[in-house]
Amino acid sequence: MLRTLIRQELLVHLMSARFFAAVVITVLLVVANTFVLLGAYEERLANYSQREAVIREKIADAPTYSVLRLAVARPPNPLSLFSAGLDTRFGSSVDISHTQVPSLLSVGAPLSSKNPYLNLFSHIDLVFLFQVVLSLLALLFAYDAIAGDSEAGTLRLVLSHSVGRGAVLFAKYLAAMVCLLLPLLMSLLLVLIQCTLSRSLQLGPAEFLRIGGIVVTTVVYLSGFYLIGLLISTMTRRAATSLILCMFVWVVLVLVYPNWSRFAIKPIGDTSARRTSTYQQIDQMREEEEREERRFLANSPLTGKPPWFNIDFSESWRRSGGHGADQLIGKLRNTADPLVPHLQQYHAFMSQVQTRLAEKEGLAKQQMVAETYLRRARWDERLMKLSPASLYTFATAAWAGTDVDGIVDYLRATRRYRRAFIT
Amino acid sequence: MIWHIVTREFSDHLNSLRFALTTFILVALMVTNAVVHLQTHPDRVRHYSESVTTARNAVRAPTQLYLLLQKGPGDFRKRPSPLAFVADGGEALLPGRIWSGGSWSKTTSPGNSLKSVWWMGYPHLNLGAMSSLRPTATKIDWVFIITYLLSFLPLMFTFDALSGEREQGTLRLCLANPISRHALLLGKFIGALFAVLMPFYFAVLLNLAILSTDTWIQLDTAAWSRLGLIVLIASCYAGIFIAVGLIVSAATRESRLTLILLLLIWVTIVVFMPSTLGTLAAKWMSPVQTQHQFNKAKKAALAQAIDEPIKQMQEQFEKQLLSRYSLGALLKMPRAEAQAMVEAESAKVDDADLPMLAALVMKDVEVRERFNREHLAAQSAQVLQARAITRFSPAATVQYALESLAGTGFNRHLHFLDSVRLHIRQFREFIAERERADATSLHLIGIPQGMSEKPVPPQAIPIFEDTLTFRDTLNTAMGDILLLVLLLGGFLLGAFLVFVRSEV
Repeated sequence: MLRTLIRQELLVHLMSARFFAAVVITVLLVVANTFVLLGAYEERLANYSQREAVIREKIADAPTYSVLRLAVARPPNPLSLFSAGLDTRFGSSVDISHTQVPSLLSVGAPLSSKNPYLNLFSHIDLVFLFQVVLSLLALLFAYDAIAGDSEAGTLRLVLSHSVGRGAVLFAKYLAAMVCLLLPLLMSLLLVLIQCTLSRSLQLGPAEFLRIGGIVVTTVVYLSGFYLIGLLISTMTRRAATSLILCMFVWVVLVLVYPNWSRFAIKPIGDTSARRTSTYQQIDQMREEEEREERRFLANSPLTGKPPWFNIDFSESWRRSGGHGADQLIGKLRNTADPLVPHLQQYHAFMSQVQTRLAEKEGLAKQQMVAETYLRRARWDERLMKLSPASLYTFATAAWAGTDVDGIVDYLRATRRYRRAFIT
Repeated sequence: MIWHIVTREFSDHLNSLRFALTTFILVALMVTNAVVHLQTHPDRVRHYSESVTTARNAVRAPTQLYLLLQKGPGDFRKRPSPLAFVADGGEALLPGRIWSGGSWSKTTSPGNSLKSVWWMGYPHLNLGAMSSLRPTATKIDWVFIITYLLSFLPLMFTFDALSGEREQGTLRLCLANPISRHALLLGKFIGALFAVLMPFYFAVLLNLAILSTDTWIQLDTAAWSRLGLIVLIASCYAGIFIAVGLIVSAATRESRLTLILLLLIWVTIVVFMPSTLGTLAAKWMSPVQTQHQFNKAKKAALAQAIDEPIKQMQEQFEKQLLSRYSLGALLKMPRAEAQAMVEAESAKVDDADLPMLAALVMKDVEVRERFNREHLAAQSAQVLQARAITRFSPAATVQYALESLAGTGFNRHLHFLDSVRLHIRQFREFIAERERADATSLHLIGIPQGMSEKPVPPQAIPIFEDTLTFRDTLNTAMGDILLLVLLLGGFLLGAFLVFVRSEV
């Protein structure tokens, strides 16, 4: 009996014109959007490889490691196609040097497309399309599931057979989920074909696993919306009422609430006091460093100003490219000053001091960022997650690795890299 | 007869659940919009007026013409629009401030250096700010409320207007009376329009009432007339979607099918097209230089125009020095003596070189500003073109019209850049005029030796005032408004045609 019910429900859905229209439009939107997203991804990839080339040049040119300021660029995430998240909008390169520990504050500009002004047009990722279109479809499948049948009298007829009410509901649920999965999987297939054709985007087994996660999340999300629709359908008498209620629930959950909560609620108050106190702390650390420097110089025969004091280096002058009187004389003379060993001692001492300072500074900034920016971002997320649509967005961003945690992980990796690099 | 239909349709809608829900959503959003604007706007205005005062004092501080040239016309700030609650327009992304592009000092010979003067900096977009760590969301401004809800709600009121009545058989009954089809359609159109617009007007009034409680938000007559136009545009937009709803409703037999078709059309037009169509269109446009290529080209041009001549001057000086003193003698000299000698030598600069130095400084400014202007113009042209293509979607058209009228968004950004450039030109003309007025100076603009040393009265210095007249806003919005009116007419006509030809 259950099988007959499922079969009948499936046929009703599949044969309907609305199902056909839904599939066609979904697939068209997804294909057009993937085309745009792939283009954007390729541009960001080009930007990334350009940055990499610049970094390599820098490494090759650097005379000593201590003057080297290395940038670590973050490659664009191929899964940003599905969930753009922070991947496209947050910075994607970090300067690394022995005088600075990377924190979120030192992240540079994001990888940009050719024309940054095109960012005025908001980008839609595939997850957003699923979120809007498929949830709408789920509600449209659900609104007359019970109310419509009971109006038409067929519900009474079905229940007159030896079949439980639970079985009827289950059959409807299963059939609708199959019908929703169909456009989802079809568009997914087309996306993957487009990806393989574009060549620039390479998906490994790990990525496929993550895409699988995204699909499972989508199914859970859609069944959530279907069940909301089913609930409304059972609670109302008329299909028309159920439909209007469903539509307004959809508007509130998908369209209004996520934007409203981000716009109207300020989760944590003003954090500028916390920021200024951190910067004051950092100023104190720097003063401490200067005191140490003075103490060292008091015991040293060096005179003049750092970094070269009153010692001429024809080599270094040339590099600095100056043409002042001092420089010109320095260029003409080549001195081997007896103070050079002292200078070396000074720089060895100072680099130690600076590294220590950088560690302390980095720690302070990290704490500050965690207590202000990160905390605010996470609170925003938590509030938005009251809507299933946002919950879905953040869950898929986590699968794709484009959420806040992805950025934090990236920074942790750069810090590790820095430690490996300076030792 | 037609008013009979209108009143019947309207009272039907008035008693329905959708009317109550519509009113609730619109009022809730409009109240939120007003309350948040009340909280944020005073801070913005205060910040603006404070920074404008500091900028003005900074501009008026120098009393000498050369210093004035070097410090420049100072900091340009975009005035926050009093109608920012209508359209946010991506103001967080667009640059709200333009200031000096930087400064350099290059040694031409020991002891002598050439200093740059003020040039207009490249207005960078605020990309990758720390605030982008927070999840993105659309601002709940009037644009959001109008483009999303005033398109969605009309569909809720019209999807069953014809197909539903046809299903129930009441349409046949209605047309059995001596009533023409177009009268019926017009009646349904006006009834649905009233039903959507009444809650909207109510919410707008509530919004404005809340806003007018605050003294910080002063709306003048121009602002009120802009608001009037904005409400008219919104009504027109709602009308378009009612007409679309009637078209699809007249063409389909089943109201369920009507609804799903309408919703899919809605997603495509309102959600998908305004964002993706622009980027899609930009793919086929002539490409612009990337930031990296642009920087490279600018650097190369500057090296050729500025660095090369300076290098030649340096080499010439060295050659002269070595022709007068032998290298051996120089090396034997005590250090301090050698230094004094070189400086004394370089102090004897030829006055004949001065015009060239002044020209170099001004050339630097010219090259930098030209490169920046051209790059920005190429980028803006692409954006404008992309926006022209997104106008296929009435949602995008309404957004641009509202942004223009509210004085925010991309058109406002271009207007701001134009007025900044105009002011810079005036500022330079002012300097040139003061310079001409002084007969004793050398009239070499760009270097301190060549310019008038007469004090400049601070009151005479031109000050930048960022203004936006009603005419400016109307000019940019007029095209969009016309497009919307045409669309409304076209869709209404389409609805008539489809309904007249459809079977009952």
